[in-house]
Amino acid sequence: MKRRRMFMNCVALLAIFALLPIGMAQADGHCEFADYTITLGNLAPLSAPGAVAGGIAMDWAAKQAAADINADCGIQIDGVNHQVAVVTGDSEGSPERGQAVAERLILEDEVDAMLGVYHSAVGLATMGIMEANQIPTVFSEPWNDNVSANGIREFDGAPPRFEDGIDHIFRISPASSMVGSVVVDWLLSLGVDDVVLIVENTDYGQPAAADEKARFEAAGATVSQIDVELGTEDFVPILSRIQARAEAPDVIRIIVTGETSFNLTQQMSELGVAPSADTICVTNQFAFQSEQYWATVPDGNYCAFNRVGIIPSLFSDAAVALNAKYEMEFGDIVPSFAMATYDAVYIIADAMERAGSYTDAAAIVGAIEATDLDLSQGRYYFRFGGHNPDLPEGTPEFMWHQWPDPIVTVMQYFEPGQSGLDAAVIYPEVYQTHGTSYIVPGTSP
Amino acid sequence: MAVFNRFETAIDAGIGRRRLGYLLLGLVLLFFLWFPNDASQSNYAKTVFISGFFYAIMASSWALLAGIAGQFSFGHMAFMGIGAYVAGLIARDGFIIAGLGIQITPESISAIGAIIVGTVVAGLVGLVIGWLLLRLRAAYLALFTIAFAELFRIAMLTEYDYTGGSNGLSLRPLIEVAEVDTARQIEYYLMFALLIVCLLLMYRVVNSPIGMFLRAMREDEDAASALGVNVVRYKILVFVFTSMIVGLAGAIFYSDVGSERIIPEQLEVLQMSLIIAYAVIGGMESLIGAAAGAFISRYMLEAMREVVITLPFGLTMADGSDAFTWETGAWRFALFGLVMVFTLRYMRNGLLYPIINWFSGRDLVMKKTVSKRHDWDDDPAQLEGRDE
Repeated sequence: MKRRRMFMNCVALLAIFALLPIGMAQADGHCEFADYTITLGNLAPLSAPGAVAGGIAMDWAAKQAAADINADCGIQIDGVNHQVAVVTGDSEGSPERGQAVAERLILEDEVDAMLGVYHSAVGLATMGIMEANQIPTVFSEPWNDNVSANGIREFDGAPPRFEDGIDHIFRISPASSMVGSVVVDWLLSLGVDDVVLIVENTDYGQPAAADEKARFEAAGATVSQIDVELGTEDFVPILSRIQARAEAPDVIRIIVTGETSFNLTQQMSELGVAPSADTICVTNQFAFQSEQYWATVPDGNYCAFNRVGIIPSLFSDAAVALNAKYEMEFGDIVPSFAMATYDAVYIIADAMERAGSYTDAAAIVGAIEATDLDLSQGRYYFRFGGHNPDLPEGTPEFMWHQWPDPIVTVMQYFEPGQSGLDAAVIYPEVYQTHGTSYIVPGTSP
Repeated sequence: MAVFNRFETAIDAGIGRRRLGYLLLGLVLLFFLWFPNDASQSNYAKTVFISGFFYAIMASSWALLAGIAGQFSFGHMAFMGIGAYVAGLIARDGFIIAGLGIQITPESISAIGAIIVGTVVAGLVGLVIGWLLLRLRAAYLALFTIAFAELFRIAMLTEYDYTGGSNGLSLRPLIEVAEVDTARQIEYYLMFALLIVCLLLMYRVVNSPIGMFLRAMREDEDAASALGVNVVRYKILVFVFTSMIVGLAGAIFYSDVGSERIIPEQLEVLQMSLIIAYAVIGGMESLIGAAAGAFISRYMLEAMREVVITLPFGLTMADGSDAFTWETGAWRFALFGLVMVFTLRYMRNGLLYPIINWFSGRDLVMKKTVSKRHDWDDDPAQLEGRDE
């Protein structure tokens, strides 16, 4: 009996192994594809001095999107399925290298459209190449306002760089001006008037601090700024200086990225400087990567942070599915720039299908302008472009070919070890998840 | 080895090494002149070459400064940045020298004018730095120049209202030709011509009495000074000269010839270490070696962005193909590092240096006067050979 059962188990196992390839072949072969594969070029920093971690996530996201589209029979043009492939070019975070790689993708790899770009400097430098070669492009991460501003003349005294307007460039990441105000508005709404900014001495830190400082001071708040170098590990002298003040500040705003920000937040929490009954702790968006955050900031409960990108409570099915894949690959919550890159591939694929072409740049651009698509970050559309060229008085120029609705929020942890997905959204009010604008340390919402 | 010796003898008896060298150099020059006219080459290939020419200027001028004059400076990229940033800021904002009543408005200065001002300012800063470095040697000199380069980079990063911070500064375009292919062709020849002119200028210096004084300074400053070499003058001279060369190259390259903007990250020590690596791989005691090392390294770093690997033994991938593409990312720098390790361990004078010296017919002499100079103290037999 036992031997018979073992025999039957072996037969069943063999049958499974024998049928598995057939099943895989069917899954693989359920779509007929045309010979031509549509190729998309993805510009991302994969080596220093670029932000390599961001580039790796963007590379993964673009290729995952291509795989998901192909699993759903690719891009259908005139009833024929075309597979889509993504080629990622390493911009190294440098305009010079970015320009060369953009040209390689366009001229050597002959990509049909472009996407990606992490660093604004690379976006600004490569725009001209995309325009000159008439390549429909959807940028997914650069924030500089000028990236999507129509007919921008960045260099005074020279003719406009794009005299006929930016025809081929779209952006689905927020412009810097869209991000800057949220944290300040939130803190001012709480009535803070004594602010300490701890700022990294980089392109991200200094302009962001200047913008926030100007906004605080315009509202009558007092601002002290302390600059730090990335890589600093000991912040006790700085924090001791803050502790020695006659009155504790209302808020310590950390405009520092990566490991350095985690070190700073931990030391600040450990010393009891903030978060405390008197002082609000506001760190940056990297805190949303909760695995990393709690591993290095175990005392960082009740710290607030800004978040760019859709909030977990609004995650669509597509976002949940993408997050699950990302977690499986990287063991953390999917960052906004990976979601945006994933969505950028879908926006281009959708536009090509509606344009009925992967070669007619004008038709694809027209189709992107007419995008109305629900993806992982929400509903995508472009208010201003060739289809609606007149920007009303007071509308900033960067709204041209700009997705108008990137979500920027303030979130706050209220339990140690809490997942970023469960953190409370506290501002703006419309997105609040726990009915409060601030969770006082030691309390529960 | 016997084959090589026979080849060597045949060449010496026939055309001669030096002539063969000139012939090959001529062919290389012809290739570079012909290259942009090859219809099968895309603008991307020309862009890579333009970048290669720029880094060739950077590496060869550093070879003059460090390899020949012995001033191991890390400030080279900073001087390049000074040329580019000053040219960009002058063209955008103009400038006023109140005491002299000079007022230059952005409208009144051309891209060429801005580049000249950038070059002169780089030279002036080189003058000051050269003067400050008079008493510093070896590690102290390196540390000073690192500090100077970082100071300049942080200033460019922090003063973002003027410099654009990490978003970079866009310079006034030098070539304003609407047709992209024609513009790229002009940019190619411009950068190539700049490389040739810079190499000729540096060659002239190296092969003049000044070059001899610089080498003497490198070997032993005190001894050179005792023998009558005005160390102060030549130290400052070499700093000013190389600063102006890289300032000019930077101002031209970032005037939309090779790139349309400069960013502070371009001035990082990491980028400087790449220049040093190019020069070391090519041969830091040879201008041509360093230039060729930089050009080939830049080309290889670009070519290795994607490597197609064909599977051996009839192996196939899941999709049935017998090859796959490896997007190397940062790995190509690791491979580049391996070449550097190999060079430093086995060919300290660079991979190209022995070839160049062989063609110039000076390989034996150079071997005895440069590479093995420290060994002579230990080996009297080699010391005797020095007089040959």
